[in-house]
Amino acid sequence: MKRLLQLGRAQPLAAVCLLIIACYAGLALFGELTYRWHEWRDTTPAYQQQDISRQYQPPSRDHWMGTDGLGRDVFLRLVQGTRIAFHVGIVTSCIAIPIGVLFGLLAGYFGGRIDDFIVWLYSTFAAIPGLLFILAIAMVAGKGLTGVYLGIGLTTWVGICRLVRAETMKHRERAYVQAARVLGFSAPRILARHILPNILHIVIVTFTLRFPASIGTEVFMSFLGLGVQGEPSWGLMLNSARTRLWQGVWWEMAFVTLAVFLLVLAFNVLGDRLRDALDPRLRDGGGPERN
Amino acid sequence: MMRFVLRRLLQMAPTVLGVIVVTFVLFNFVGGSPARMKLGDKASPQALEEFDEQRGYNKPLFWGSRAPTRALADTDFAQQAGAWGTLPGAAWQDGVLRVSAASTWAPPFAFPLRPDSAYTWSVRWRVAGESAWAQTELSVARGDAAGAVLREWVGGRELELASISLRRVMDRPWDSQFVFYLRQLARLDFGVSSSANVPVIDLLREGIGPTLALAFPILLLETALSIALGLWSAYFRGRWPDRVLVLGAVVLMSVNYLVWIVAGQYLLAYRLGWFPVWGFESWAYLALPICIGAFSGLGSGVRFYRTILLDELYREYVRTAHAKGLGRGRVLFVHVLRNAMVPIITQVVLSIPFLYTGSLLLESFFGIPGLGYLSVNAINDSDVDVVRAIVVLGSVLYLAANLLADLCYAWVDPRVKLS
Repeated sequence: MKRLLQLGRAQPLAAVCLLIIACYAGLALFGELTYRWHEWRDTTPAYQQQDISRQYQPPSRDHWMGTDGLGRDVFLRLVQGTRIAFHVGIVTSCIAIPIGVLFGLLAGYFGGRIDDFIVWLYSTFAAIPGLLFILAIAMVAGKGLTGVYLGIGLTTWVGICRLVRAETMKHRERAYVQAARVLGFSAPRILARHILPNILHIVIVTFTLRFPASIGTEVFMSFLGLGVQGEPSWGLMLNSARTRLWQGVWWEMAFVTLAVFLLVLAFNVLGDRLRDALDPRLRDGGGPERN
Repeated sequence: MMRFVLRRLLQMAPTVLGVIVVTFVLFNFVGGSPARMKLGDKASPQALEEFDEQRGYNKPLFWGSRAPTRALADTDFAQQAGAWGTLPGAAWQDGVLRVSAASTWAPPFAFPLRPDSAYTWSVRWRVAGESAWAQTELSVARGDAAGAVLREWVGGRELELASISLRRVMDRPWDSQFVFYLRQLARLDFGVSSSANVPVIDLLREGIGPTLALAFPILLLETALSIALGLWSAYFRGRWPDRVLVLGAVVLMSVNYLVWIVAGQYLLAYRLGWFPVWGFESWAYLALPICIGAFSGLGSGVRFYRTILLDELYREYVRTAHAKGLGRGRVLFVHVLRNAMVPIITQVVLSIPFLYTGSLLLESFFGIPGLGYLSVNAINDSDVDVVRAIVVLGSVLYLAANLLADLCYAWVDPRVKLS
C-alpha cells in the first residue's frame, strides 16, 4: 500500500493507468463469476436477456448505455465483454511468452546449431504477414476462442524471442554466469535461476505491450466472425453496432469504442513508462507488431 | 553488387523453405481435411475424393507407398460396423463382423475404385469359432473395381473380421502432397480457388492492382506525415508541441483500426458526403480509405521517427551546420534526414507487408476488389488454396523487401559496403 502511494506520487500517470487496468480486471473477474454462476445454475444471465419491445433504446436511467437490436442492455454486455478481452490477453500471453522466452534463452545461451535453428524458425515466422497468419491459423483451428488463442499465441512469440536471445547472449559472458559455470551448475539451472531473473523485465514490458495488441486483434477477429460465438465480446458488439450506426443508433458503437480505447490506452501508457523505467535500451523494437 | 544480391538470395532460401513448410504443415496436416473444411460434413465421399484429387490431398504427406482412399473408410469392428453393417449375409455383433459361408458379396465402396491404381486390403480375421487372430494383406490389381480379390479370398469360408482397411498403392513413394505442393509453387501455380473455381493466380493478378493503388499512397502519405511530425516533435523536444504530439501519438495508437474505418465511413462519407461510401470506380473512391489508412498508422509512425531523429539531432554535425549559418529547414530536412535515412528505410520497407494485411479491412469495408478483400472472403469461405497463396506471396514480398532495404542502405549511406 505504501509503495503504491509512493508510485502515485512519483509517477501519477502510471498510477492512474494501473488503477484503470485494475478496474477492468475487476470487471473481468466479475464477468467470469457471473458467467460461471449462470452456467452452474443453468439460467439466462441478465446480459443475454432479450426483449424485442425494448430494442434500440437510447441511454436512459434503466439502461445506462441503451439497448441493442435484441433489446439487450449494452452496459451489461460491455462489462461482460471485458471477460473475453482479458481471457484473450492472458491466454495468448501464456502461449507466446513461454515459447519466446524458452527459445530465446536456448538460442542465446547455447549458440551454434541450436541458435541457427531457432533463428531460422523465428525468421520464418516473422516473414509471414502477421494478421493473415493469425487468421489462417484461426481458420484451420475452427471458429471460436481456441482459434483466436492459437492464432495470436503462436505468431507473436517472435518479438520477445529476439529480445531474450540478444539479452541472454550478453549475460552469457558476464562474470556471474561464468562463475556459476565454474561452480559446475547445470545449464538448466544457470538459465532458470541465474539468467532468467535478470531478463525478467523484458517479460514484464512485453506483457504490458502485447496485452492491448492482442485485445485489438481479438476485436478484429470477432468482427470478421472468426472469434467468439455466442458470448458478448467487444468485437461482436462493434460488428452489430456498425450496421445500425447508419440509422442513428450511436450508443453501442460509442461506448464499446470508448471501453476498448481506455483499456488499450492505459496499457500502452503503462507499458511505455515501465519500459523507460526498467530498460531504456528496449525503446522501439520491443513493441508488439502492428496490425 | 550482383554477387551481393546472389549471396543474399541464397541466404533467403532457408527462410523461403521454412515458409513453405509452415504453410504446408498448417494447411495439409494440422487443419485436417481441407475438403471437409470446404464441402462440409455432409458431402459425399466421391465429392471429397474429387476435391482431394484436384489438389493432391489424396497422396501421402511427405513420403510413402500407401495412401488412404475415401472409397472405403477404415473400419474397426470393435467399435462400429460402419458401411459393412448393411452387407447382405454379414452380421455385426460382439465387436466382430461375421461373414457367413453362403453369402456372395461385394465390399460397400462409396464409389468405384480407380482403374489406374493398385490397392491393398489389410484384414484382421479368424475362422469362425477359433481363437487366434491373423493379419492378412491382399493386393488388388489395377482395374479390379468390384473388390473381387476380397470375394475370392473369403470364398466359401465362414469368417470373423476384427478390422479391415483399404489403401491405395502409390507407384512412386515420392509422389506425395509435399512434392505436389513444391511442384505447384515451382510452376507458380497456386491451385484452384474452391469457391470461385478459377485458378488462384488469376485472382491474385486481378487483386494486385487495386491493392497497390491503395497501399502505396498510404505508405507515402503515412511516411511523409510521420517524418514531418516526428521531426517537429524531436525539434521541440520536451516543450509543449512535443508533449502534445507524444501524447497524441499514444492516443492515436490506442484507437482500434476498426473504429477509424467505421467512424470515417460514417461521418465523412455518409453524413458529410465528402467521399463516396462504397465501391471502386474512380480515384475518388480511394481517397477516403487512403486517408484512413495513413491516419491510423500515424501514431506509431510519429513515435518511431521521433526516437530515431532525436538520436541524430544532438550530433555534432548538426551543431556545425547551425553554426555555419544554415537555415533551420536546410539543417533539418537535408542534413538530419539524410543521416537518419538508414533507420527510415528500414521502417518504410519493412512496413510494406503490413500494409498488405492492413488493407484487409479497408478493402472489405470500402468494397475495393484487392488482395485484402480476396483474403477476407477466402477465410470466410475456407478457401484454403487462396489463403495459402496469399500467405506465401506475402512472405516472399517481405523477404524481397528486406533485400531491397539492404540495397538501399548502400545507396543512401556510402559507408555501407555491399560485400
